[in-house]
Amino acid sequence: MNILDIEDLSVVFTTDTGDVPAVGGVSLRVRPGETLALVGESGSGKSTVALAAMGLLPGNARASGRVTVDGTEIVGAGEAELAGLRGRTASMVFQEPASALDPLTRIGRQIAEVVRNHRPLSRAEAAREAVELLRKVGIPEPERRASAFPFQLSGGQRQRVVIAMAIANSPSLLIADEPTTALDVTVQAEILDLLRGLAADSGTGVLLVTHNMGVVADFADRVAVMLRGDVVETGSVEEVLLRPTHEYTRRLLAAVPRLKVDGEGGVPVGATGSVTGAGEASAPVAAEAPAPGDGQATAPVAAEAPAPGEKPVADDEEAAGPPVVHLRDVAVRFGRGPGAVRALDGVSLDVRPGETVGLVGESGSGKSTAARVALGLVPTNSGSVSLFGTDLGRARGRARRALLSGVGVVLQDPVASLDARMSVAECVAEPLRTHRRGMPAAERRERVAEALELVRLPRELARRGPRELSGGQRQRVSLARALVLRPRLLVADEPTSALDVSVQRTVLEVIAELQDELGFACLFVSHDLAVVQEFAQRVVVMRAGRVEEQGPTMSTLLHPETEYTRRLIAAVPVPDPVAQRRRRAADRTGATA
Amino acid sequence: MDTLLYLTRRVLQALAVILIVTIVVFCLLHALPGGPARGILGPQATAGQIAAFNHEQGLDRPLPVQYAYYLGTLVHGDLGTSYTLNEAVSRLIEQRLPKTLVLTVLSALVGLLLAIPLGMWQAVRRNKPADYVITTLSFVAYSTPVYFLGLVLVLLFTQTLRWFPSQAPQGDTLAQVFADPAALVLPVVTGAASMIAVFSRYMRAATLENLSEDYVRTARAGGARQGAILFRHVFRNSLTPVVAMLGYYVPVLFGGALVVEQLFNYPGMGLLFWSAAQSSDYPVLLGCVLVISVATVVGTLLADVVQRIVDPRVKAGRA
Repeated sequence: MNILDIEDLSVVFTTDTGDVPAVGGVSLRVRPGETLALVGESGSGKSTVALAAMGLLPGNARASGRVTVDGTEIVGAGEAELAGLRGRTASMVFQEPASALDPLTRIGRQIAEVVRNHRPLSRAEAAREAVELLRKVGIPEPERRASAFPFQLSGGQRQRVVIAMAIANSPSLLIADEPTTALDVTVQAEILDLLRGLAADSGTGVLLVTHNMGVVADFADRVAVMLRGDVVETGSVEEVLLRPTHEYTRRLLAAVPRLKVDGEGGVPVGATGSVTGAGEASAPVAAEAPAPGDGQATAPVAAEAPAPGEKPVADDEEAAGPPVVHLRDVAVRFGRGPGAVRALDGVSLDVRPGETVGLVGESGSGKSTAARVALGLVPTNSGSVSLFGTDLGRARGRARRALLSGVGVVLQDPVASLDARMSVAECVAEPLRTHRRGMPAAERRERVAEALELVRLPRELARRGPRELSGGQRQRVSLARALVLRPRLLVADEPTSALDVSVQRTVLEVIAELQDELGFACLFVSHDLAVVQEFAQRVVVMRAGRVEEQGPTMSTLLHPETEYTRRLIAAVPVPDPVAQRRRRAADRTGATA
Repeated sequence: MDTLLYLTRRVLQALAVILIVTIVVFCLLHALPGGPARGILGPQATAGQIAAFNHEQGLDRPLPVQYAYYLGTLVHGDLGTSYTLNEAVSRLIEQRLPKTLVLTVLSALVGLLLAIPLGMWQAVRRNKPADYVITTLSFVAYSTPVYFLGLVLVLLFTQTLRWFPSQAPQGDTLAQVFADPAALVLPVVTGAASMIAVFSRYMRAATLENLSEDYVRTARAGGARQGAILFRHVFRNSLTPVVAMLGYYVPVLFGGALVVEQLFNYPGMGLLFWSAAQSSDYPVLLGCVLVISVATVVGTLLADVVQRIVDPRVKAGRA
């Protein structure tokens, strides 16, 4: 019998502006011990399906159709009946471990609460059980940690606590909604291992909601692809990821940036043509190179993007000029006394004119801080920073402002980084108002229109507010704003990590094209090694405030010199189930060896 | 951070704030037209009489000197002598302050005990008739001036219904005040009304915000029932911002006492301040303002300390 059976499920949200259908007639099933991955882009309705399966839809949602969990009907069931099911028969792991736990309750108590919701144990017994669960999910010193508050744990540990709560009563169905999206790759690999182990041990069925094809390849047995509230393709993970039949699945897979790894197929990366993927026998999807006649939707981004192999040539010619940014031995401390955090410790890096340098590392490695130092936003404790050959630390007042006007910035969050009360045109015009005070209004308008055109945004959008735009459009507004002063350096801090893969591709494409056209250099901060590999000529790997290693992208990411970089690369799941299985096996033997 | 170090730092900060308050009030009061002499001696006083008074009271000396002198006596607990009542200000305050404290603390307690459950209940019944009714009443209570609300209550309960007396307890000691609880009802209710309105709104908003937090969904996914979610998780999380707000509400409470005491003829600090303001009785005004600002500073300090206890993140400097 299936542990989860969804038949013709439809969900409609009632909003002020009328009914919005989110899911339209979805049918799925999960057998015991099996993992079904539900994939799709934001707004496809995949999370809504997951919440519907738990009976956790928000109050303005109406569900119809049938959802049965272990034989119990969920749609239309009362709160009391659902409460008896949740946490015992079916349980859930959420995306955001930072907010998924009650900030004021000790984690041991929160786990014990789930235990006691369903089993008649005393407080002390439940507390002991909570410690055992913490041990099971790999929290060190569980007895001591049980009395910690959520804020005292790292993101990965918090997610382990959420998982401990989910498995507290050995459920037969585990629903995981983007369980690793908010985590670093190395932590993601650990959490996926943990979930895989727990599911295998207990025969639990898993519904895994994710947008990450690498995670799917790593974890799932079967895959269902959602598009605008419908399942468009279902099949085994090999079928769907390697031989997709639906047009949308193919497009989605083509948009996924793929990390090329040495040893996987052993593709030597030549000076040119590397991204055509001609030699990638192991990846029949040929993500980077859509087959001819694949339809215009598969716009061959990669072919237009600067091939990593091409740029260094140009780079050498330009290397004569001084670097646009030069950090030498920079140290940054936050706070003082024994509690001070060494955010940066002896960091040196250069970005030369016209080149793109990828800054990678886990969260807390200092990559964003380094970018902020280059922007003059973070004062340094020692070392020197120069922009365009001038020492930023010595420049004051007008000279400093003039220097900084040569740097544009695009930040991660497309919602938070634009002022919601300004129109798009005002957002883009603001740098001109600040740095080109004497500019006549007519010329300013022209420059704004020009910048919007550069990032391929239609003129009509100029008068709208940022909130009326999609995430990708907003990020292009940020880009227009960054480029309106015609900077010589663009600092992009995780510019696409809040975006869907297909949108990410268009944004990256626009940046790459404009870089070719306008010739600015780019300091590209990202946690996504695949994106950096595709986009940057050189890469700087950071770890705990230090530069772990740096070099040309292809050599550093294919033949890393340090163990840390090797681990970082090994942790990235590739969206190919066969290759991923092989890598995992290799990693395991490598780890035991 | 170490709790003792934290407390020391906060107390020093509080003292600095109080010092600044004395300077501001001192300057403000001296900027009044006519100055205190005109207030004491009346409009008929001659320039000579005013000059003599100013000289006698030291009011002709430079302001910084006057201020320094004032501070010096302050340290010895001497707040000066009232111009009109001919009594030490410290003694006046000593007599009146406990009564005002009784009034404000009772009002605050009654207000909070009603407002917090009310706000939570409204949040749970959001956008249902009960919520709308209470919301409307809150806005009415909040937008009605305290003296008007007090008058309505007096008319209704002392004239029409004759349930309570129209005067607050008149006794000099606290024992006498508490001996007549029925007389305390109307002043306390009048003082609590706006508190209920404000804090039920506040609690409603905080509860609604917390109800939409991810951790509520996690608790629900773990099989927790609505009641458990509300009382085990949401209540505590919603209370922390309310506690923080409470400290800043102290001056509002004293402001309310000013009106309530006048209205019910209750001889507390409010009434003292009122009559002192009318007769430009500088030393009394300064003394009252000082006491109220100390109370405000102590109130916020207490609120911060309570928050440190309730929310472990505050102590770790993470919230």
